[in-house]
Amino acid sequence: MKHQITIGILIICLTAVSCSKEFLNRTDPTRIGTELFFKNQVQVDQAVNGVYGQLQGITNSAYIFKEMMSDNTTFDLNPLDRGGAAGWEAFEFSTVNPGNGEISALWNNYYSAMYNVNNTLGRLPASTITDASKKEIEAELKFLRAFLYFDLVRYFGDVVLVTKTLETPDEAFTLLRAPQAQVYTQIETDLKDAIASMPAKHPAAKVGRATKGAAISLLGSVYLTQKKYAEAVSTLNGILSLGYALLPSYADVFNPARKNSVESVFEIQYQGGNDLGEQSNFMYLFAPRLSGAAITGYANINPIGRNIPTNDMIAAYEPGDLRKDVSLKTGYTRNNVFVPIPFVNKYNHPHTIAGRTDNNWPVIRYADVLLMLAEAINEATGPTAEALGYLNQVRARAGLAPLAGLDKAAFRTRVLQERRVELAFENHRWFDLKRTKTPAELAAFMNAYGAKEKANPTVARGGVAFNALDYVYTEHEYFLPIPAAQILINAQLQQNPGYL
Amino acid sequence: MNEKNVQTSYGGRQILLLITLLLLNTLAFPQDLRITGKVTSGGNNTPLSGVTVKVKQNQTTTTTNDEGAFGINASRGTSLVFTYVGYTPAEVVVGSSAVINVRLEALDKGLDEVVVVGYGTRRRRDITSAVSTVNMSDIGEQPSRGITQLIQGQAPGVVVKQKDGRPGAEFEVRIRGIASLGAGSEPLYVIDGFAMGTSTGVNINPNDIESISILKDAAATAIYGARGSNGVVLITTKNAKEGQTSLNFSVDYGVQNIPKSRRVTVLNGPEFAQFKKEVFEDAIRYFQRREPRIEEVPIGFRYPEQTRYSTNWFNEILHNNAPYTDYNLTLSSGKGPIRSVLSLGYYKEEGAIIKTNYDRFSLRANIGGAINKFITVGWNTAVTYSRQNLTNTDGRNAIVGSTLIMDPREPMYDSTGAMRPYIGGLDGVFGYPNPVFLLNNVTRRRNIADVLSNGFLEFTLLKNLKFRSSINARLNYNNYREFIPSTIGALLGSGLSGAPPRIATAQENTENLINYSADQLLTFAPDIGENHRIDFLAGFTAQEEIVKFIAGSGNTFPDDLVPYLGAAILRSSNSSEVGWSLLAYIGRVNYSYKDKYLFSASMRREGSSRFGAKNKYGDFPAASIGWRVSEEKFMPRFAWLTDLKFRASIGRTGNNNIGNYSSLSFLGTNNYILGNAIAAGKIVTSFANSALEWEKSDQVDLGMDLSLFNNKVTVTAEYYRKLTNDMLLPISIPAVSGFTTSLANIGEVENKGFEFAIDYREKAGQVNIRNSFNIAFNRSKILAIKGPNDALYYGSFYGGYNVQKVGRPIGMIYGYKKLGIFNTQEEIDKSPKQDGVIPGGMKFLDADGNGEVTYDTKDMVEIGNPNPEFTWAHTLAVDYKKFDFNVLLIGAQNFDIYRNIEASTMNMDGVFNVLDKAKDRWRSPQNPGSNPGHKNSQGGTNYFKWSRESSERYVYDASYMWVKNISLGYALPRIKNISSARVFVSVTNAFLFTNYPGNNPDVSQRTSIEGGNDDEAYPVPRTIAIGAKLNF
Repeated sequence: MKHQITIGILIICLTAVSCSKEFLNRTDPTRIGTELFFKNQVQVDQAVNGVYGQLQGITNSAYIFKEMMSDNTTFDLNPLDRGGAAGWEAFEFSTVNPGNGEISALWNNYYSAMYNVNNTLGRLPASTITDASKKEIEAELKFLRAFLYFDLVRYFGDVVLVTKTLETPDEAFTLLRAPQAQVYTQIETDLKDAIASMPAKHPAAKVGRATKGAAISLLGSVYLTQKKYAEAVSTLNGILSLGYALLPSYADVFNPARKNSVESVFEIQYQGGNDLGEQSNFMYLFAPRLSGAAITGYANINPIGRNIPTNDMIAAYEPGDLRKDVSLKTGYTRNNVFVPIPFVNKYNHPHTIAGRTDNNWPVIRYADVLLMLAEAINEATGPTAEALGYLNQVRARAGLAPLAGLDKAAFRTRVLQERRVELAFENHRWFDLKRTKTPAELAAFMNAYGAKEKANPTVARGGVAFNALDYVYTEHEYFLPIPAAQILINAQLQQNPGYL
Repeated sequence: MNEKNVQTSYGGRQILLLITLLLLNTLAFPQDLRITGKVTSGGNNTPLSGVTVKVKQNQTTTTTNDEGAFGINASRGTSLVFTYVGYTPAEVVVGSSAVINVRLEALDKGLDEVVVVGYGTRRRRDITSAVSTVNMSDIGEQPSRGITQLIQGQAPGVVVKQKDGRPGAEFEVRIRGIASLGAGSEPLYVIDGFAMGTSTGVNINPNDIESISILKDAAATAIYGARGSNGVVLITTKNAKEGQTSLNFSVDYGVQNIPKSRRVTVLNGPEFAQFKKEVFEDAIRYFQRREPRIEEVPIGFRYPEQTRYSTNWFNEILHNNAPYTDYNLTLSSGKGPIRSVLSLGYYKEEGAIIKTNYDRFSLRANIGGAINKFITVGWNTAVTYSRQNLTNTDGRNAIVGSTLIMDPREPMYDSTGAMRPYIGGLDGVFGYPNPVFLLNNVTRRRNIADVLSNGFLEFTLLKNLKFRSSINARLNYNNYREFIPSTIGALLGSGLSGAPPRIATAQENTENLINYSADQLLTFAPDIGENHRIDFLAGFTAQEEIVKFIAGSGNTFPDDLVPYLGAAILRSSNSSEVGWSLLAYIGRVNYSYKDKYLFSASMRREGSSRFGAKNKYGDFPAASIGWRVSEEKFMPRFAWLTDLKFRASIGRTGNNNIGNYSSLSFLGTNNYILGNAIAAGKIVTSFANSALEWEKSDQVDLGMDLSLFNNKVTVTAEYYRKLTNDMLLPISIPAVSGFTTSLANIGEVENKGFEFAIDYREKAGQVNIRNSFNIAFNRSKILAIKGPNDALYYGSFYGGYNVQKVGRPIGMIYGYKKLGIFNTQEEIDKSPKQDGVIPGGMKFLDADGNGEVTYDTKDMVEIGNPNPEFTWAHTLAVDYKKFDFNVLLIGAQNFDIYRNIEASTMNMDGVFNVLDKAKDRWRSPQNPGSNPGHKNSQGGTNYFKWSRESSERYVYDASYMWVKNISLGYALPRIKNISSARVFVSVTNAFLFTNYPGNNPDVSQRTSIEGGNDDEAYPVPRTIAIGAKLNF
């Protein structure tokens, strides 16, 4: 009898725990599983916002590739710490090799954002949002995809073209580099779709998302880069009726109080002064290393001293150009001593918390569009009055006299010069140089710049000698190398010529 | 003289006892006898004092005196029970003789020792798998840091490393090598049947431990299924001896010091000024090809002999004679059906670095016994609380590393006598917070409360059928609080920009863990005849763990007065929760025929929440056989051969230590700003992989157990081969997929090896000697990896790499091979191109033969092996009269360490202080140092390139022999009411013999598979202690 009771207890004990099938099904209570998401408008909006968030990361380091690599900027060398020598310093000195960590991060960041674009695009059809909303979101995602590919194709030439979500990692091994032409075709297709379905303006709560104007400008730039001038003109003309205008004051363009102004076509959004983690910190990256609080206003964060305007850049301004003093300063005063290390000043505005600035980053603005239009018209039909008008409109705000009587070649030179000073330190220079020069011309141009820097460095080097290979540009450096890690992972991936 | 062997049964367990009973004087006596006699230790007849002698029937009790003699009144037909700690109890029936002399056998001896195995116990003679036991009585006196320390040197193939000297830190335990590249190599710890996980935490009081079994092969560990691959450590806590009541009190007091010989020597003030002067002058000589003028040299180091201050920053942070104390009070009550042990402990250790310490209060109650013939119960509960003051100690930017490279020309105090908060910035030397100031002002504190409880009910259903139901639970509270006041400067800043004041920061994290399991076990041992012995086990177990975290951080305090988050102006907080669960069915059968042919088989079917939906369950079978050759009729009966057993086992185990939700894909937060307000954003953070499963290890073990001369000599030899496959590894995938890595079950690793242990016990007159030696050879080899070129690289360009490469051992150190130091430009011109190298730079091998040593990993090769060729340990214990002496030596042979810190402590730029040996650096072709061709020679001073990269320059052989512990004890004469008293002295980490230049050759600061990287850790102290144990 006693034993039977015990056996009963035994059976109860065994079954009590083993019944619960759910016992082994656990998920992370602090995160949302992918399968449960992308269902409704709120979730889809969050997925799109996530990609914009990734653009912040991409923008935070873009100056290394788009400005420091060019003749516009250099950096404040720290003779005591050359830890960056194998990384970001290489972009100034043209010593980038495939093992460069910055290249790897660049590649990874772009394709990470690309995954989220493609993934959300792929999940849209199954969501419950309205057709109209679907169309608009789809257009916006295609704009973002084009935006990412346009950078990639200009950095690397042929790149891997992914336009759908991969289901397993194995699929990624079959993806190889597609010819530039094919990438451009994809970009154009995406942008045309985007233009067709994107709104010209967003309601106040959504300001910051890409618009029709942004897509038109980007497509114009894509055509210009491919030297499809007629298409560029006709596309860019489409923006004239959308209500953009230049702000009267150049300084206002960069003022955090004037974010997303009437001149702004597309800018990356940041917000300082709080704990949201959405701040920018460009000023801290760009202020000279030992400037302490002299520029940023806060002594407890050491500035990094990158993206320092070169002597060459400083000399590029015409006398009386109002933009010069807004864009850069030739030195700073610390402890009553003037230190003649120049720095980028555009993004220098008072902020309430150390290290957290409120500055947005301008990607496309109306002045850029006007200059692109002027350039495209000149190339397509010559230096017409219309083209000259756009150019002079930009010059007028800078307090410079209008230009006249330029032939096509002179106009071409003047518009490029105007772009350099108008859009200084806004990540245009390297791609402008690339699209207006052949690889051989670019190498010659950059070698000339390098010789000047070597002879008379913008920033004193504290006794550190130049390396023999510093500032030696060769034609193959027209494109960046494919990251060595990616070729190690997938040996089928071809390296760009000239890189080991 | 009449000699008789008596078999006794004891304590409900079927323990076979062999005692020698000497019956002298066969005169007849009346009913009540005065029994006298002597109790001696088996073998050599050493008298045992303090042995409890009890009349079983009426509880009359006495103890033996110093000569082992006793006298007690007993009736004929009653039984005398002799019990003594560490010895097998004996029971003798009172016959007609008035003199009963008894020899007690030491408990740990022989084939009848009961060994704790997974979900049960077995007699040593029946064991057919690889199980090592650690007897607490064989370990010398040493500071009780923790359980892991107790295992050190006690079993072959069990490598225990004290990786650093932090107070309260656990040691690293590896059983039979590193079996996994992705899922960790820590063994499973089981306390009183409760499978706690890969760590017991720091809060277990070692004084409460009765015995430790280490399960090494798959036949022993497969019963633990997906947690068995790295071996299992079974810990049994103390239970009261039947019939014994005792109160033990012990106190230890010791001091800790970093021996002078184990301190890293750097330049003093004048020497550093001289060094800086030479660096400055050498640069002018090389780059400007002229002799420098004295007035060019900056005044700060122009005249080194005039240097005013010389501070040895490392010595400044040391706490000399740092005390440790350990108090334990144990009440053990073994009378009556319910027996109990109550123990109370307090341990406190001051660290060898000032302001670091650890203390622990512990309380344990183990209660249990038979309620009646039908029910047995047991309930063990341990409650502990510990406090730890920590500091950051790894790397050049942490306390220890920074003291080596800080400017020795700077004084500790300013002219007013106040301690200077920030040091550095003179002549371009990097600045650091004053480490003494930092240690005194920064708060980093961890408090841990731990409750561990196991309870069981056992029902004897039929004579041989038992059902045991147990519940185990652990509650753990772990709180970390940190405050860095505004007076602490930046760790690394050039010039003055790192100097305080800085923004004060604070953080506090709390973790609450609950882990509980329920086991239902049915055991059946039917009687099937004299020649057969069989038993069955069937069971079911379920376990769940949930950990909740809450964390807060803050900065920008109005002042440094209130170091709590509430005072911070900016605050943020976070909370999260993780959990896992498992279910398993287990079964086992043991069978032996005539104690000669042994067989055992087990099976575990386990399901885990950690694995993909497609692979929730796995099966873990194992089988083993044993053959006691010495029992065979054909074996000649050699007098010296006591036992010879061959055994073989095979089995499959798993490793589920791979994170809780690895098979699932989640969204992560990635917000944006829209309309100048926060806009919630999300991105996908990983691929889903519903097919993920555990790593599997298949292990074969062949062993031999040999006993000679009546167990005087025991030998165990073991060969094993463990194949781990389906490792869960983050493999690199093309970034165009959107991700750079993805988890997959891939790859295969082999560990095979040989283990040998010999134990020799001799009694010569009054001297007892135990000599125990073990040695293990483990070879790891990676058989397959799916990934880039079938290799995985860990580490960094300037910090040393470890590579996992197919066909090679785990974690080979990787970097440039050093061919020498370039003397002249001509030498450089003749060699393969090394971009930017100048004379004084190191010459590296152009491994790919393309004419250029490129500044990346392409020309790197294997430059060192962090895996020892063999590890060994030797214990020598000698007892003489009242003295006992114990020494433990451990060693590891032929392995390398990458001394990462030297990339900073031998930085020739003049921005850091440097090691003493920098005086012998290369300066010019005429002055190249004493041995420029040596692998570890230091190159020139003039250029940063080709000097600090991962290279053979930083690889040192770290073979060592360490006298880990020496103890000497003395048993005091008996005083009334004190049944025994003992005093001892001990030295831990006594003497280290090695050529390795760092503090500790057991250092390892990265993961297991990135072994042998030394970036300067908390130094390991030598501890000298005295103690006393009193037994009431």
